[in-house]
This record gives sequence, C-alpha cells and structure tokens, in this order.
Amino acid sequence: MTIWTPTDSGYADLTSHDTFADGVPHNTFARLRRDDPLHWTEYEGGENFWSVTRYDDITVMNKNTEVFSSARGIRMEDQSYEEYLARRTFQETDPPEHTQVRMKLLKAFSNTVMQQYEQDIRDLCEEILEDALGQETFDATKLIARQLPMRMLGRIVGLPDEDLPWLVEKGDALIANTDPDFTSHVMDKLETDEFRMMPFNSPAGAELYAYAKELMEKKERDGDTSGVLHLILQPAKDGSMITETEFRNFFCLLVAAGNDTTRYSIAAGIQAMCHQPELLGQMKEGGSVWDTASDEIIRWATPATYFRRTATQDYEMHGKTIRAGDKVLYWFASANRDDSKFEDPFRVNLHRSPNRHLSFGQFGPHVCLGMWLARLEVKVLFQELSKRLSHIEPAGPHKFLRSNFVGGIKELPVSIRRA
Amino acid sequence: MKMNVTWTLPAGGTVSAAVEPGQNLMEAATENNVENVTGECGGSLSCATCHVYVEGDWFDKTGEIGEFEDAMLDMAPGERRPNSRLSCQIEAHPDLDGLQLTVPES
Repeated sequence: MTIWTPTDSGYADLTSHDTFADGVPHNTFARLRRDDPLHWTEYEGGENFWSVTRYDDITVMNKNTEVFSSARGIRMEDQSYEEYLARRTFQETDPPEHTQVRMKLLKAFSNTVMQQYEQDIRDLCEEILEDALGQETFDATKLIARQLPMRMLGRIVGLPDEDLPWLVEKGDALIANTDPDFTSHVMDKLETDEFRMMPFNSPAGAELYAYAKELMEKKERDGDTSGVLHLILQPAKDGSMITETEFRNFFCLLVAAGNDTTRYSIAAGIQAMCHQPELLGQMKEGGSVWDTASDEIIRWATPATYFRRTATQDYEMHGKTIRAGDKVLYWFASANRDDSKFEDPFRVNLHRSPNRHLSFGQFGPHVCLGMWLARLEVKVLFQELSKRLSHIEPAGPHKFLRSNFVGGIKELPVSIRRA
Repeated sequence: MKMNVTWTLPAGGTVSAAVEPGQNLMEAATENNVENVTGECGGSLSCATCHVYVEGDWFDKTGEIGEFEDAMLDMAPGERRPNSRLSCQIEAHPDLDGLQLTVPES
C-alpha cells in the first residue's frame, strides 16, 4: 500500500508555502532531478535562486563551504546584513568560526551523553502513550508527536516542567512562522518590520531571548549545574567561552529545532504505520530492526526540506554557471527520494541499510547537532508505541504544515486498538 | 599506487580495501561499509563519527593531530585512547600501505 501519493502537477511553485500545505511536491522534484537538476527558480518574494535536487550534487556541494557559504543566511527569504548580524546563530557561519562555536556545544549533544538519557526518554514515552492510547481515535501529532521532543529537551536542558507548554508554543511560532495555525505573525504576510532583528523575524524570538537571559542568571545564582546548559557554559578546549549573544541565539535555536523536527519525524513514522501495516509487525518483532528503523523514519520524514547557501565565487555545474552572490538551495526533501541512491524511495523499509539519508544535513559541517538525541527519541518512542498496539489505521485525512522549510504533518487522525 | 588498509571491527572480523592515494580514510571506510564509521559531516571536523584507533607503529606515520581534531576526539563515540584519530584527517599515501585500524565500539 502507498503511504501517500503526491498530487502536484510536476510544475509546482517551490517558493510558495501553499504548495507545501498539500505535502512536498515530489512530482516536481522528480522532474527536476531528471531534467533540470540545477534549476533557476523564480521567486516573487525576493532574489531568484538555484534549486539543487539530486543527492550526489548536494553531498558534494554541502562539504564545499568555501564556495557555498552559510554566512549570508540559510533560508530562502532574503535579509539585510544588519538583520543577519542580529539574528544569526552558528548555523549562519562558516568554518573555522563555525567550528569554534560548535566545539563548545558538541560535547553536550554527543552520542555518549545522549545515551544516558535513554531511560528518561522511555519514562516520558510511557507517560505520553498511556495518556494518548486511552482513546481509540485521536490526533497523533497533537497527543504523541508534539509531546515528546519538548518535554525531553526540557529535561536535557534542565528547564522547569511548568515552563514547557509555553516553550512548545514559542517554538512553534518561531519555525512554523508561515502557518496561521501556529502564529498570528505569518511571515510572508507580515505588514510590520518590528521583529526583523529578532530570531526568525518573530515576536516569539524576543520573548525567548528574555527567558534565556533570566534562566541563565537564575541558574548561576542557584549554582544549578543540571542539564546540558552547564556543559555549554564550560570553557572549550582552547579556553574560550560562549558569549551571551551566542548563548541566547543558540537557546532560540534549541527551542525551535528541538521542538518540531523530531515531532514531525514521529508524525511521519506514525503516518507510515497507518498505511504500511507490516511495519507494526516488524517493530513488534524487534531485534535488529531498531538499529535501522529511526534513520528510515527520519529519512521518510525529512523535516528540514532545504537549507540555503550563497555562492562566494562562480561555479560551473550541469553546463550552467552559478554566479558569485547567487543563492543556492539544497533540497534535502528531494535528495531523500532520489532513486539513484535509495531503492524504492517512496516505501518505508525499516531494515534499509546502508541508509545515508540527508535529513540531518549530512556531508557538511552543519550536520545536525541533535541527531543522536533525535535518533534515540524516535527509536524509543516507536519501541514503546508498537509494544502497546495491535492495530493502527488512519481516521481521516492528515493535514500538512503550511511551510516550504519545515515538512510536517500537523494533524494526523488515527484509530488504534491496544495490544 | 593504491595502499591497502584493514579495519578490525568491534565485534571481531575485518574489512580490507585498496585505497587511492589522496582519499581520506573516512571516505574509504564508508565506501566499504565499515560498521560504526559513518562520517556524518563528510570530513568537515564537525561530528567525530569516523573515530578509529591506529594500531602499532602506524600511529606515528599518520601525522599530527590538529587542534580541532583534538577537541573533537574528546567527544567521539567510543573511549579516547592515545592512538585515537579521526579517520577523515588521515589521507591515503603509499607510505601507509598495510595500515591497520580498529573501529571503536560506539
């Protein structure tokens, strides 16, 4: 059975958030990969850009940070240099500057540190699932997928439980800032530039800035060393410390990135279980499937549909010239369905191995810092979910987020029978 | 001239391959599906997922450990040992023909 069939004509407007509200336009990406792998994309909202859609092209370019820089922004939308400086995190820098900041953060999110949280994640999953599975029909994004990542991030970072619902809301408003269900400041329909110096051009960014500052001060006063923030505040190997601005921007990034990318991976995994009934059986069988299942679910989901770079010099490719200063988008959502790399890419194969998908922006220095946590959360959630189910099916059509940057199912009605 | 390299896997067993000079040993490992060497960042010194132990006298022949590599090794999966290296930072070279690497447990 097919999980979901794309409905776009093959000529969808990749710059339109509305396009993605009907799901990723995979017919368009398939055509571009075949006929026009370096596609000059017209963009009404700003400078036109190059769309790169093939797996093999993205993996080569993503490494090449000298030619394709992150330091002019990482989204399709243009921003002035002034806005860029105020809002940037280490995502919007290149090596060696990027490496220096990343070194201070990496230790807190290493696989070894994350493994220590496995039991915490399992306990949280139990709590969330016992709550959700009390009903036969419910919205799985709302009751399952939306719950785990933020509560877990709260534990890891050392945030008070009572602040978590507020943080989930702010995180939604930051990244899903183009979906009216999540923010009243819909970014491409804004009539004000009041928040343009704030992270994600959002009033939520301002509130998170204030929260982070207060949190830091309180932790310092109380000598509180719980959570990874403490690790982040330790001097790096070279003695350097994270600056206050770096910290606050990083905190916003944590809330935004930690909130909805894992959420939409979980939602996409549950969606797949609804339409490929064999998946539940394979999960229940367990064993080696858990070495490969999370990466396949995360490939299937591809919550970060693209990242943008800017060319620093001319670059020849597929008989065309990318000029210095041109924007270039790496469409990970397309690369993860590239059938020259993935056999039967529109099927979820929990045993897929090797599975070198690009959902974490692999093959470049900006590879997701939270990837170990994401993999662990997805694995444990599906272990605990499958254990408790004997059947799951859709209870109506699902709805996608209105965003060409975050690919996700914001409403996923399911019917279940408990095991 | 290609150089031969052998990886000893955490569960026992080995993988051997002939590698082109100039290629780095993380890429060589991923091309040969060496378990636990994933090179997530593509060799940009940002992930430490290509950690290996360089066996015996080979260690001194693989060159100096850079500042960033040193910091990354502290966070690498598997215990750091005196012969730890990130294999993306070792380039295949005829002088390394016969190189023996061990893959840490993750």
